[in-house]
Amino acid sequence: MPVTVGAINTAAVSGIPAASEGENYTLVLYPKVGLGDGRHAYNSWLQELPDPVTKVTWDNYACLSVAAARELGVEQGDVLRIAAGGSDESSTLELPAYIQPGQHDKVVAVAMGYGQVSSARFVDAGPEWILRRPTVGDNGLVGKNAAPLLSLEGGGLRYIRPGVSVSKTGRKTELACTQTHHTITVPAELATADTLRRPIVQETTLAAFLKDPHSGQHHFHVFEGDLYPAEDHPYTGHRWMMAIDLTSCSGCSACVVACQVENNVPVVGRDEVLRRRDMQWMRIDRYYSGEGDEVDVIHQPMLCQHCENASCENVCPVLATVHTDEGLNAQVYNRCVGTRYCANNCAYKVRRFNWFNYLHEDEVENLVLNPDVSVRSRGIMEKCSFCVQRIQEAKIEAKRHGEPLADGAVKPACQQSCPMQAIVFGDANNPDSQIAKLIQSPRQFRVLEEINVRPSVHYLTLVRNRTEEEGSVHHG
Amino acid sequence: MNRRIFMSVHECEEDLLGVVKAVRQQGLKIVDIYTPYPVHGLDRAAGFGPSRLPWICFVLGLLGAGLKVWFEFWTTAQDWPINVGGKPWDSLPAFIPVTFEVMVLFAGVGTVIALFIATPLYPGKKAVTPFARTTDDRFALLLEEEDATFDPDQVRMLCERYNAVRVEEREEKY
Amino acid sequence: MADVQTGLRKPWILGDKSLTQVSQDICGILERKPTAMWWTAFLISLSVLAVGAAATIYQVATGIGTWGLNKTVGWAFDITNFVFWIGIGHAGTLISAILFLFRQRWRTSVNRAAEAMTIFAVICAALFPLIHMGRPWLFFWVFPYPNFRGPLWINFRSPLVWDFFAISTYFTISAVFWYIGLIPDLATIRDRAKPGIRRRIISFFSMGWDGSYRSWIRYEIVYLLLAGLATPLVVSVHTIVSWDFATAIIPGWHTTIFPPYFVAGAIFSGFAMVLTLMIIARKVMGLEDYFTLRHIDAMCKIIIVTGSIVGLAYLTEFFVAAYSSNPYEQFVFINRALGPFAWAYWTMVTCNVISPQLLWFKSVRSCIPMVFILTIVVNIGMWFERFVIVVTSLHRDYLPSSWADYSPTLIEILTLLGSFGLFFSAFLLFCRFLPVIAMAEVKGILSYGKSTGHTETSKELESSTKPGHAKAPVGERELEGASA
Repeated sequence: MPVTVGAINTAAVSGIPAASEGENYTLVLYPKVGLGDGRHAYNSWLQELPDPVTKVTWDNYACLSVAAARELGVEQGDVLRIAAGGSDESSTLELPAYIQPGQHDKVVAVAMGYGQVSSARFVDAGPEWILRRPTVGDNGLVGKNAAPLLSLEGGGLRYIRPGVSVSKTGRKTELACTQTHHTITVPAELATADTLRRPIVQETTLAAFLKDPHSGQHHFHVFEGDLYPAEDHPYTGHRWMMAIDLTSCSGCSACVVACQVENNVPVVGRDEVLRRRDMQWMRIDRYYSGEGDEVDVIHQPMLCQHCENASCENVCPVLATVHTDEGLNAQVYNRCVGTRYCANNCAYKVRRFNWFNYLHEDEVENLVLNPDVSVRSRGIMEKCSFCVQRIQEAKIEAKRHGEPLADGAVKPACQQSCPMQAIVFGDANNPDSQIAKLIQSPRQFRVLEEINVRPSVHYLTLVRNRTEEEGSVHHG
Repeated sequence: MNRRIFMSVHECEEDLLGVVKAVRQQGLKIVDIYTPYPVHGLDRAAGFGPSRLPWICFVLGLLGAGLKVWFEFWTTAQDWPINVGGKPWDSLPAFIPVTFEVMVLFAGVGTVIALFIATPLYPGKKAVTPFARTTDDRFALLLEEEDATFDPDQVRMLCERYNAVRVEEREEKY
Repeated sequence: MADVQTGLRKPWILGDKSLTQVSQDICGILERKPTAMWWTAFLISLSVLAVGAAATIYQVATGIGTWGLNKTVGWAFDITNFVFWIGIGHAGTLISAILFLFRQRWRTSVNRAAEAMTIFAVICAALFPLIHMGRPWLFFWVFPYPNFRGPLWINFRSPLVWDFFAISTYFTISAVFWYIGLIPDLATIRDRAKPGIRRRIISFFSMGWDGSYRSWIRYEIVYLLLAGLATPLVVSVHTIVSWDFATAIIPGWHTTIFPPYFVAGAIFSGFAMVLTLMIIARKVMGLEDYFTLRHIDAMCKIIIVTGSIVGLAYLTEFFVAAYSSNPYEQFVFINRALGPFAWAYWTMVTCNVISPQLLWFKSVRSCIPMVFILTIVVNIGMWFERFVIVVTSLHRDYLPSSWADYSPTLIEILTLLGSFGLFFSAFLLFCRFLPVIAMAEVKGILSYGKSTGHTETSKELESSTKPGHAKAPVGERELEGASA
């Protein structure tokens, strides 16, 4: 597969920009987690759902491996022409490149389900203002339809097509990505070797775990004492906490959509995502560890950690975010004046700000809103509430029956929708609850425990099914 | 009741200081002195007592600080205690900055209001200058002719020794 | 009295002015018609203000989304501009209060203009926390007033509340201080003015000041008290502003060095701005005798000192980050110097640490165009300092997943420009309608009429300054008209 990298400037002659071309790639078409084959392309929640791995929204793209991209001289966002033999329009596809570590070097992967006619309705998606960029592409639709490149073989659809060529068109587009730094390590030129990896995820191997269930644990100097009188905030009633098992989490993002639906979280459109203003209360942080194409993937669901010593609460001038006596970090929408100080001072960056009036009065769209949750207007902060409306409902229900609140009676939307049951929520003050047991687990850790904000969200060490005892064990 | 005022106008502060010291030695009663700028040392020379305004400033500052620290404690720990970031109800160290600012505000603004009342000064007040140029470049010394021992001619000679550019006597109601 | 001009000191005001000459020089500016230069400058400033106002109105009407902020970088131009303008303001209070307490007589030539600058800068500064709010129309919620929500008070633990109190107190005290200083001068203008509307207005605001020494005694003590209050106030204000960052948990913000570092930086930028303004004003309004090369020299020295403190703070931050062995903290500082905003960091270092070193040379300090350029360079650097602190700390904090870039939108840039338009429009109006130099204070430091009878006065002075009464022209003397 000889690759010519811009050796001759053909642009001057034919009007086609200089193209480096790679032959003999295999095109892999795949249904996307959110959109499937495209039958839900009209659904803005799914269009704005970040892909579990690439974290791109509102577009499909051509995934290339790191090595292939280097070989073709392609950078992220370069528009590629993918030609599958034949010169007719239907056998070529122009899509922005996405460099995907871990992919096979000779594969170009393109998601199905885009370029659907039903996505034409997003032409006006997102807030209206002078510098706004459209959510739909030049074709008036979201993404490009890759279906014409499917082939029929033996009465079945073939999703794999060998022998395609890939060339640069010379154009570039931006991909609306909710995460732009992909590794769990910081750039090597900006840190010393032993501080490259951020100690925010604990991981170990199965072999190491079987030997020592505490394996992979970070050891931080956590201040054990307390400068404040403990009797001020005793938490004698319920104490809501959550545990997320990183071993179970597959990154499918069902929780993200479930949360968005439950909590009336607005869809903001491609331009706002490009500006890093996605509004989903819950996000799945996807980190690569390792070098080049040899990477491990970590999925870490990240939501408001409901810190006991919440740094956001302390800085709000108007008491718009305060703590409840059940350990919830409550956001009082109608008190918020929108200084954004809380979001800045959040170590987890889980607060979302209504930069515009995202939700408009619309008779049909209003039907989709959850009547138990306030719709937020412009200029105020919002974030995960641990589905407080569900907590209240369950408490009232239990009171009506005159029974104590049973463990598992409150399930936030994310927990409810998690197919892997990776998320457990409950009252940590109830010693018989599942959460109370999980937080005693040897795998338990909390993100950024060392800054002593005392999060209520606990994580369980990611155990990789490997026989080596070394490899991904990090001592902080 | 009327009183007779003797006015002597000078051109520079040196002469003024000299004449003020001289008339004080003579035991004459100084009604007031009008100067275009605050002449350093004139208060001692003229025997004018110090102002009591610093006390007002001090008391108001204490009052402002006291009220504010009480108010912060009352709103945060008593009236409606709200758990903010796990901080104790009585977060005294966090109350200090605002307390300090309110102390300065009370002391500063209060002192200025006290100045306006004591002087008195108020917007739209009509200025009564004994001599038109005392706000520009003239220094006017006003003496009261208390009794018969006041000898205008002698005093004028004294003033002229200090380069008085103008000397006059007038009746004034008070 | 005699310590005012000790032997080795030359007078600060040139041209052997008499008292009335001072009134003439300063009031004359206000009594003439504005020059074409003034009109040009004013109209330019006003247009820039109008553009900024349009951008601000659009932003308030549409949403903060019209700025380039995002969920990671929640503050950028807004708070940068806020800290920048507050810092500018600090020089005014420093000159009027701290130098007053230190008996630095040269302050009299600049304090009025510097105080005016303070007030306008604080207005510009206060604008940004107001318009940066998501719902600016509810700004009054940060004030603890009784209400029907409980009453629900405010969070006295929040540095933004401290800020609100600090800025409003600072503005009030600065305005009062400035106004108190203006009263005797207003009286001077009043007594010179021809009868008419102008005289009536000035008369109204002069509060009936008559120059009575009994009033002067009180006035002086109040001035001293205000200076004594304003001195810790000005230090507290920038300390509190720095606490907006220092009490936060974000690496790069959470730094105990911030209060002194911010105060020094504020004085640094403020002095640069005073110099910028006064170099223009002395030229345009012919105030070379009042604002002399010696004043410029003294102020340049303060710029060197504060610039060096700022430079030391930059180094200390790196040292503390290295010494802390906190990986987040270490990363933030390396990221500042070598990361995506390295250009901003090195702009800051070049403008704030390297360029002021030129002022060590007497030849640079006495070259007015050079000083003028350097003061502008310093202010560019100080703007970038705040930008670096605000943005580089936020854009790459704890979790790499939320790292984001930031670039301003046109709306943001126009809003920043508009604040300069507001500042210069206000300053130009001030130059037209109020005395730029505190006449009553300048008169007090003239050598006029202070030679004889004072044994401490140096020989040098005696020879250079004639006794006042001998100097006054005979024609001005009214002795012949004196009545008995």
